[in-house]
Amino acid sequence: MKVNDPMGALNDLSFLLIIYFLVIAGFNTNRGFLLNLPSRDKPRIVQKDDLLKLALSREGEISLNGEPVTGEELDALLTQNLKAHPNMTVFLSLDPEVPYQKFVDTIGTIREKRVENFSFAMAGG
Amino acid sequence: MVLKSRRRSPAAPLSAMSDIGFLLLIFIMLLSLINYRKEVRIEYPEAKRVEITDSDEQLEIWIDREGAVTVDGDLLGYDGLEQVIAGTLGEHPDVRIQILADRGTPYRHINSVISLLQTLQHRSVGFVVKEDL
Repeated sequence: MKVNDPMGALNDLSFLLIIYFLVIAGFNTNRGFLLNLPSRDKPRIVQKDDLLKLALSREGEISLNGEPVTGEELDALLTQNLKAHPNMTVFLSLDPEVPYQKFVDTIGTIREKRVENFSFAMAGG
Repeated sequence: MVLKSRRRSPAAPLSAMSDIGFLLLIFIMLLSLINYRKEVRIEYPEAKRVEITDSDEQLEIWIDREGAVTVDGDLLGYDGLEQVIAGTLGEHPDVRIQILADRGTPYRHINSVISLLQTLQHRSVGFVVKEDL
């Protein structure tokens, strides 16, 4: 009769625990996006034509010069403006009550278009 | 005189494998203890394109849906937060500040933290989100 090696089971257990801890260690990695906060002391001078002023309402609606635009329209607008004005600066004004997810969505769209000059501030803040 | 050649059957030393296995296990367990962090229950915002924002030195600022600010498990007011940030920046000027806020948190609460960072002239901030798969 063949005797089972108890070390074999321990080896299996230790390797399973290694895999478990390796997976757990990966959970703590922060993912997101890095932003450079606009400086308060050094206001930037931007040409009027290069400036695109967006506003994000309490409901999460984006508007350009008071006119609401959809996500697709904003996407097209950014592409079009970047072609016409390579030095385009986007300024985003945020309603104090807008949910954080809407801020993340808007920033995501702007970042996707690789807009280099981007600034944001809370409306009335 | 005829010499007898000894033939040994090849075998992998399994005991060494288990030693390595347990040493790895201890190493990874210790590593996960070092990486341990006190989390606040928040619903992460989601984004399609994300990058790793981790750094060697980092300060995580948690903001829940009601605007309560927590750092390393301690609930702080804005004065306390300013002291913590200033102290951390003084000790580690290269520290990366990460904002972890609930997806439903009104922006004014995030703006309060951002204003503090601007006052302290800290520029680069990581906004932590969950990858939208």
